[in-house]
Amino acid sequence: MEEKINREKYKTLGYNVLTLFLFLAIWTLAYWLIKSPFFPSPLMVFNAFLELLIHGDIEDVKLGMHIQQSLWRIFGGFTAACILGIPLGLLMGLYGRVYDSTKVLIEPIRFIPPVAWIPLVIVLLVGYFRFVFIIWLGAFFPIFIGTLLSVRGVNPLHIEVPKSFGASRFYIIRNIVLPSVLPEVLTSMRVGLGIAWECIMAAEMIGGERVGIGIMILKYAQLIRMDAIIVGIIVIGIIGFGLNEIFIFVEKRIFRWKEVVSI
Amino acid sequence: MGSNYVERVKVFSYNLISLTLFIILWFWVARWQASPFFASPAEIAQGFMQMVTVGDEEGITIFMHLWQSIIRVFSGFGAACVLGIPGGLVLGLFPFIYNRTRIIIEPVRFISPIAWIPVAIVLLVGFTRYVFVIWVASFFPIFITTLWSVRNVNLIHINVARVAGASRWFVITRIIVPATLPYIAGGMRVSLGISWMCIVAAEMIGGEMVGIGRLILKSSMMHRMDLVVVGMLTIGILGYCLNEIFIRVEKRIFRWRAAVSID
Amino acid sequence: MEKELIDVDLSMKFDSLSVLENIRFKVHENEFLVIVGPSGCGKTTMARLLAGLQKPTSGHVTMRGESISPKVHNISIVFQEPSCIPWRTLWDDITMGLVIKGVDQSAIKKRAKEVIKLVGLDGFEEYFPKQISGGMKQRVAIARAYATNPDLLLMDEPFGHLDAQTRYLMQIEIMRIWEKEKKTVVFITNNIEEAVYLATRIIVFSKLPARIKAEYRIELPRPRKLITPEFLGVRSEVTEQCEVVER
Repeated sequence: MEEKINREKYKTLGYNVLTLFLFLAIWTLAYWLIKSPFFPSPLMVFNAFLELLIHGDIEDVKLGMHIQQSLWRIFGGFTAACILGIPLGLLMGLYGRVYDSTKVLIEPIRFIPPVAWIPLVIVLLVGYFRFVFIIWLGAFFPIFIGTLLSVRGVNPLHIEVPKSFGASRFYIIRNIVLPSVLPEVLTSMRVGLGIAWECIMAAEMIGGERVGIGIMILKYAQLIRMDAIIVGIIVIGIIGFGLNEIFIFVEKRIFRWKEVVSI
Repeated sequence: MGSNYVERVKVFSYNLISLTLFIILWFWVARWQASPFFASPAEIAQGFMQMVTVGDEEGITIFMHLWQSIIRVFSGFGAACVLGIPGGLVLGLFPFIYNRTRIIIEPVRFISPIAWIPVAIVLLVGFTRYVFVIWVASFFPIFITTLWSVRNVNLIHINVARVAGASRWFVITRIIVPATLPYIAGGMRVSLGISWMCIVAAEMIGGEMVGIGRLILKSSMMHRMDLVVVGMLTIGILGYCLNEIFIRVEKRIFRWRAAVSID
Repeated sequence: MEKELIDVDLSMKFDSLSVLENIRFKVHENEFLVIVGPSGCGKTTMARLLAGLQKPTSGHVTMRGESISPKVHNISIVFQEPSCIPWRTLWDDITMGLVIKGVDQSAIKKRAKEVIKLVGLDGFEEYFPKQISGGMKQRVAIARAYATNPDLLLMDEPFGHLDAQTRYLMQIEIMRIWEKEKKTVVFITNNIEEAVYLATRIIVFSKLPARIKAEYRIELPRPRKLITPEFLGVRSEVTEQCEVVER
């Protein structure tokens, strides 16, 4: 039985690798057929990747630097979003009146895309804090709303049992509510991180910095170097995927007692 | 019955009060700051009137900006639905194709649509640029949600039909599709939200003359912060309204369902 | 003569819906009182009122003269749905009541071991709820309820979600447990056979708005057999009272 499962896994893996090769082959074929300066071959993209990695871009900024800058900015904004979003979400979840009464304020603001804030932020803030603010905007709402909803979703039975034993409100919050909402809080953090990753790209493209993956792509867009652009896109995809996977991994380890569903 | 009504009136009035308090607070801060970069509510209201009647520096009213943004969004969104929903259905019904091509699909899925903007700028012009970006932004949520919803159709319902001798076609059209519709609608709503975010970014980075994103960027460069806020609020309120409309429609069509999520 | 422990005299309304009307009865120490009634007749509300989790709109529930309250009195309740806390091991779950009530560590350990043995779950202390069956989860709830040596043990249709065989088993089990450690139990069910099997006294609730329809003392010797003529006689009497049989 185990052998059969392993065989299936290898088969799927094999097919996946096959598809990858097929994809590259079709790509190269298309390159030969299309022969346009806008359509690089896989090889050209790979070369561009090496060039960016080792020599750096047209301003001699290495790929590593770009990635590091973007990640550092995300880290700042995301941490800020968590520090504000989680406690606020918990508070509003437990004392729902405040949220319901201020909904008319919060909801429309929530729907303003963080990207739309960028011009305002460019005028009002400088440098690192620009990005921190934009990312904070992007990540804050999913984390806040997610935490809030998770508090509301606590199983009422889990609260009634300690209550029947005469537990204090503090005990219930600390020992029942907090562990109960932790999985969903982490999931909303993951979602927030995904959104933050998107925002950073937009912010860098509009912002006018020198370093950052978004900027790198834009630079090459202006030079119409598709191969470098594709390198940038792939890097974005892989890092976004990686960040998501890290979170899922952490979630799975901590919550062995639960069945975690991720999309 | 009675207390429910009283509750709703209470919540409504609290909302109204907090909104008023907020505007008053804003007014005060604006006076205190006395900076050209900080628009007071009065200036914003004026700016709004201007945008509605005369338009901005180039005589383009807010309605023209909005209209442009809206058709771009809905074109891309529509195209994404046309490809994403059938695609998701097919790959959901034939999971082995999906499992074996995941290595291509997953990383691409994680590439932020924002990253595609420079590509769109290089390869396409005008209207199609935006349609492309929005298409990329909306495609994956719709596709993935549709796919996932097909996989999650309750097996019991399928088996009931099969035991009664239903053909494969019947099972697909009369059991699976209706079961997935609520989730597809949810995915569409999320996509719309994402598209809304991306159109602003795309318009800011691209070089169009008309569009909400363009309006915001232009105004910020001319230091007309009041117009910037007008633009931001317009997007926010519109996004919120679209979401609410979608939710209402979902609730009506899917009356048989227990709960529709907030977002 | 049994000592009276709890005095109930109340009516309960939710907005304009009258759920319980003029409910008056007493609960005696160490009796196994079963409340029987059709589904949806406010039995769960009754359980929550007895536990002090809710206050009646008029009237009172008092234990030894004081209005019943979980912070004052020692009450335990077993719910119909499994109520094990998913992230706690069985041991942590069972000791929850004792921890909340501030019992010291060594006493907790001793008592927890006792109740785990009592319900037959030894060896499973380190398991998580997702690893055990429904019947076992209810045993955990019962152990947790017993651990605090409650003055009042409430059980709100605790076997309702179990399959028929497990249910029979649990009925026998709860009798065994109760014989070993006598507590004052108020047990709620809509299953008449279960009521006659378990009870020292049965109170029959009517449909909504619920009133007390009848009261029976069950004097059958224990352990009771489900098929003796005496048992079936009592059972059909109670069944008639419950208006279960269509006319």
